[in-house]
Amino acid sequence: MDYYRPVPGTQVEDLETPCLLVDLDAVEHNFRVVADTYRDTEVKMRQHTKNIKSPRLALMQIETGGTVGGVCTAKLSEAEVMVEGGVTDILIPNQVVHKDKIARMCALARRADMKVCVDNMQNVQDLSDIADAYGVKIGVLIEVDTQMGRAGVRSNEQGVAIAKLAESLPGVDFKGVMSHQSLMEYKGEEDRYEVGRQTIQICLDVKNAIEAEGIAVGMVSSGETFTIDVATTIPGVTEVEGGTYALGGTTYDYMKDYRMANKVMGTVISTPRSGVAIGDAGLFALSGLGADSVEDHPEITVGEMLDHQIVLKSDGEMPLKVGDKFKLIPDYQDMMINRWDQYIGIRDGAVEQVWDIPGRGCTQ
Amino acid sequence: MERPIFKPIGTAEEALDTPALVVDLSGLNQNIETMHSFFRSRSVGLRPHVSGHGSPAIAHMQIAAGGTVGGIMTATLGQSEVFAATGFDDIFLANLVTAPSKIARLCSLARRVNMTVAVDSAANASDLGEASVEAGVTLNVVVEINTRRDGMGVAPGRPALELANAIVGEEGLHFAGLMTYEGSIRAEGDELVSESKKWIQQVLDTREKLEKAGLDVEILSVGGTHNYEIAGEMDGVTEIAAGSYALMDEGYRTYRPQFVNAAKIMSCVTSMPEAGNVITDAGRKAIGGDTGNPGIPTLPGGEVRGLSAEHGGIDLDPSFDHGLSLGDRVWFVPNSIEGCVNLHDYMHVIRNGKLDAIWELPARGRYR
Repeated sequence: MDYYRPVPGTQVEDLETPCLLVDLDAVEHNFRVVADTYRDTEVKMRQHTKNIKSPRLALMQIETGGTVGGVCTAKLSEAEVMVEGGVTDILIPNQVVHKDKIARMCALARRADMKVCVDNMQNVQDLSDIADAYGVKIGVLIEVDTQMGRAGVRSNEQGVAIAKLAESLPGVDFKGVMSHQSLMEYKGEEDRYEVGRQTIQICLDVKNAIEAEGIAVGMVSSGETFTIDVATTIPGVTEVEGGTYALGGTTYDYMKDYRMANKVMGTVISTPRSGVAIGDAGLFALSGLGADSVEDHPEITVGEMLDHQIVLKSDGEMPLKVGDKFKLIPDYQDMMINRWDQYIGIRDGAVEQVWDIPGRGCTQ
Repeated sequence: MERPIFKPIGTAEEALDTPALVVDLSGLNQNIETMHSFFRSRSVGLRPHVSGHGSPAIAHMQIAAGGTVGGIMTATLGQSEVFAATGFDDIFLANLVTAPSKIARLCSLARRVNMTVAVDSAANASDLGEASVEAGVTLNVVVEINTRRDGMGVAPGRPALELANAIVGEEGLHFAGLMTYEGSIRAEGDELVSESKKWIQQVLDTREKLEKAGLDVEILSVGGTHNYEIAGEMDGVTEIAAGSYALMDEGYRTYRPQFVNAAKIMSCVTSMPEAGNVITDAGRKAIGGDTGNPGIPTLPGGEVRGLSAEHGGIDLDPSFDHGLSLGDRVWFVPNSIEGCVNLHDYMHVIRNGKLDAIWELPARGRYR
């Protein structure tokens, strides 16, 4: 674990590198965009915290507005981190199947409203049995596979059968349906809306089939950053599980309303040949899905990444010299943030606050 | 920080919380014996690279196994600080230290342990020299030579000689020798031999040049897990820096059959949405996926379809009847052990199928 905590007021150029920076103006802006988007809509944000891994950042969105008042976490141990950090409404859009883990979730349900997704009858039975023994209720949502080929029911009939079972059991509280989808390739705004509507409709079809059996469906939790705006045009969706938007992301061309808030700052440690600079941030700090550009230097391309170094190249003269700092714009923040123990929050070129990332490594 | 549920020593491996980084003690001991026995009878020494496991406990086992130069290799200054604090007194930092604040940290470390560091420019040598004089310490410095990788380092031959002379001229520095990191060569047989010799020979030729100029080359560090037995037989090589051999990984499996997979990620089946489709709770965040897919040797007929951030997807040939059900355990062998241990704060040590110890990985995240 790393313990680097520069004092507030430290100038950004004086920081030890590599380090993970969060631009506080940018992240606050992103939270306001979501609050404005969902101010008068039925659908609200349930921020997915698998990428930010920080209760502080989650609470900032809840305080700014536009949310259901709770968050998503990918895993139970992340949920524990969020509950300890003061968030009391948790949806795990994933399966918790091992009995030890179900018991832990039930213990957590004494302090927070715990909800989890299911796609299997036996799992629903296990959840109910253990929750009943603990004297708690676990909310369940049926996960619907709309596109990803991962977990989730594949038909309306499967969804109805699980909903009926959940309705009949004492330890679980049937809440609704959930789906996750992904925009594999950005082909323009029209296509983005179309992909969002088509996939979410598959989830809504399961909801309609369950309601046709006389079972109320209170929650339709679907969508992610690419459907934050799309979901406002789809009646029936109650919440969107956006995550990437909080800190921005360059892979997503449509995210024009959001600002890039997270960057990894490195220092040039060698300029061994003309047009080449070696920086001190590599695969370990960035992840293989890493970074493809350097802020304020469009003429620089990212070459090979070694475990602890990055090779920067320039067609003409390399503008960076040994000792110069540079900021890498990450491609996939989720995988990158999971390698860091602190965010260094900056504003106006200086450190304002340093936040631990207590969810780091919480894959359990 | 990772927060696995700790269970009592003696707990069955399968009862541990998932995903978990589990290390089989007998496999680890076997790998150490295989590697270190090669070096025990030779004058060339092994310098265990700690990036291959991140664990002071394993590094102590490696030094105790003999055949080493008595010290370890590290990749970052922060990692060096952690290993200096956990009992290692001979540390070779195979990286450049250029920032003034980091040079100060390096000099501070050199007061307590024998520190060796790489350089690839006269300007850096001058900065290091000035700081070490001021701190009243001596830094051992090796010239990093760029061979196979398009990375840092000076060219072999004259540029290396010029830099070595610049180091000799610095009062606070001790010129210790030469190193290259030719990169992991994934090849077998004759190709591995010829590829390894091609790059290492450039460093040996440079050594000759330096010696003719009257310089003493005490350290010549090359090679790795991929070619230690080839590099170790080349006259003039003094040490091999290898790390992956201790725990091994999927990436090396076909090239280094003498080592066994001692580290695995134990995961849990969380969904089987249709026949032949198995979803587990270990994805890229637990196994790592920067260099390729992991292996699943304990699940015949299974093939890793791909890893997403939180999930591992497996295609399972239905003709193999595993009787697999939700909650069952599946073991992945990470594609890159370095990349995998960088994601974990602990490793669960398993002996005869039971938890024997929990070893912390205190250097995790020490990129600075």
